[in-house]
Amino acid sequence: MNRAAAPARAARRRAVPWDVVGLGLLVVAAAFMPDLLRALYDRAAVSYLSIAINALSLAILALSWDVLARTGQLSLAHAAFYGTGAYTTALMLRHLDLPMWLGIPAGGLMAVAFALLLGGLTLRLRAIYFAIATLAFAEVLKAVVHHAPTAFAGGNAGMNVAPLFRPVFVAGQMERWEVAYLRNEAYFYVYAGLLALSVLISIALQRSRLRHAFTAIRTNEDVAGVMGVRPARVKLLAFMLSASTVGMLGAVEAHRVGSVLPDQSFSVATTVLALVTPIFGGLYTTLGPIVGALGLSSVQELLRRTFSDGYLIGYGVVLVLTILFMPRGVVGTIGHAWRKRGSRSTGTPPASRPQRAGPAPDDAPPKPPSQPGGDA
Amino acid sequence: MIDPTLVLQALVSGILAAGLYALVSVGLALAIGVIGIVNFAHGEFFMVGAFLAYQAFVSFGIDPVFSLFLVAPALGLIGAGIYASTIRFVLKAPELNQMLLTFGIGIILQNLALLIWGGDPRTIAGIAYRSIGYQIGPVSVGLVPLASFAISLTLVLGLYWMLASTPTGRAMRAVAQNRVGAALVGLEVDRVYLVAFALSALLAGIGGVMIAVIQSPTPTIGLAFTLKAFAIVVVSGLGNVRGVLFASLVVAIAESMVATLVPNGDTLRNAVFFAIIFGVLVWRSRRVA
Repeated sequence: MNRAAAPARAARRRAVPWDVVGLGLLVVAAAFMPDLLRALYDRAAVSYLSIAINALSLAILALSWDVLARTGQLSLAHAAFYGTGAYTTALMLRHLDLPMWLGIPAGGLMAVAFALLLGGLTLRLRAIYFAIATLAFAEVLKAVVHHAPTAFAGGNAGMNVAPLFRPVFVAGQMERWEVAYLRNEAYFYVYAGLLALSVLISIALQRSRLRHAFTAIRTNEDVAGVMGVRPARVKLLAFMLSASTVGMLGAVEAHRVGSVLPDQSFSVATTVLALVTPIFGGLYTTLGPIVGALGLSSVQELLRRTFSDGYLIGYGVVLVLTILFMPRGVVGTIGHAWRKRGSRSTGTPPASRPQRAGPAPDDAPPKPPSQPGGDA
Repeated sequence: MIDPTLVLQALVSGILAAGLYALVSVGLALAIGVIGIVNFAHGEFFMVGAFLAYQAFVSFGIDPVFSLFLVAPALGLIGAGIYASTIRFVLKAPELNQMLLTFGIGIILQNLALLIWGGDPRTIAGIAYRSIGYQIGPVSVGLVPLASFAISLTLVLGLYWMLASTPTGRAMRAVAQNRVGAALVGLEVDRVYLVAFALSALLAGIGGVMIAVIQSPTPTIGLAFTLKAFAIVVVSGLGNVRGVLFASLVVAIAESMVATLVPNGDTLRNAVFFAIIFGVLVWRSRRVA
């Protein structure tokens, strides 16, 4: 997946489209997973499915963040899109008499609309300013939701959201826990479908010419402009695609949790998870965020159970350590080692390194000038 | 019809609050201007200062007026430690890495505080001077805000003086202007950065001690103050230390006016900052484009 080697090599490799094969395997695995878990673990499958759902959710979030990061933009607004999706479906349920399912695409569309608005205003900004502006936007949105009339959006107390699935308990034909199992199974398929969509978007972008536009913008926006890429447009497209899946995720999650609350739906924690996961797994790839989500969601379970407040500290530590010691992430580091090995065995110099997979620092720390003196 | 007394009161509260904001923001501006690091953890130094003051009071009964002198060096050390152990390694890394690193440090500090002190607001209870206030004409002024304004203003002006006319200050300005050039004339750039970052954390910590007396802080105020400091720094121009005082006045008065004059405006306090960040950034980008 995503091996940006020299074009000739890439052309030869094209014979096996690993990304599509991977997606296919993912879909097949997901289709059998609930039944397999049930066959293996019986009633414990209920909680295993919940854990799997959390991992899927994290993967969707991470992949969405990565899509925007490929253009070099640091978004701190993912909590805003997530919350937008959650509140859209909750508001529709409360005020409109429409089928419940419509809330999910509507949540995605609403998030895209906000991305269009926010991106149109801020994507011309330099990276730092963009990051600050997106963080500010997320907090404004939270404040607005807090402040909105209680009769309309519930204020501080939030709103209840009906579950998407209500399996019925049939006495005599099934056991009690099977109700929970059926509910989790149904949610699992929804999340898996959403992840498949996210992967599809990511693969499509990696295979299209846009990938080079993204890389060009990330490397140097001005030069990209000279080469005929329109940075503002391309970034806006990435931002909208990124927001769409998060918005839908927020909507689905609102149904699963059963409520929306300003502080929970627009929590900074969402933004933190969205960015730590792909950085840990490996930026600018389809595989990286998924690997990161698998790794971190198992840690997350452990941390959340140990500390109720402050479990995010684990993510802070992972973020800092990754940036300092493994700036390419898990996938990038392994891939780099693999390519290095491959080139050594054939005796050729390493083929053009993939556009700095993961923002690698200039390896050595800056040396202070060794001259004495200077009365600072 | 708006009551003119109310406007005057809001103006005075705004000006008094501006002192503290300037103190916190000037540290952020220093880090950006001298080191070139956009520190997303800056507000957390402020929060840590507040909780150290609280803990000193609860454990040892040290009055915040005195713990100021303990907390400030402690924060300086924390800042220096964080710089030496993490930030100095990403100085040449892409901007994205730098921002993410400081963001990660902020997450660690905030959640560490949540683990230690929990999420509830903490009050330093039973300080006599907290309730002292003066009535000047139609406006009432509390002793604590007044004192915090005076201390902050002194410190900010002191920093300006230091930058203008001490060897350390000159070194900082030299490094900010041209890092390579400064190194060539014999300045130890890394040490200047270390001092600047420690100083930045120290100033935020002093602000934290004061907020512990003024309000009842929770471990999550750090993020809000990071954003407030960003708003001020963005208004004054990224890395411009001198503009901070004026920008703080603008931002604090705007906040105070909205909180007092808009019905139910207290909940919109924070939104004012974000609106200012947003407005200024977008306006700037249009002007450049």
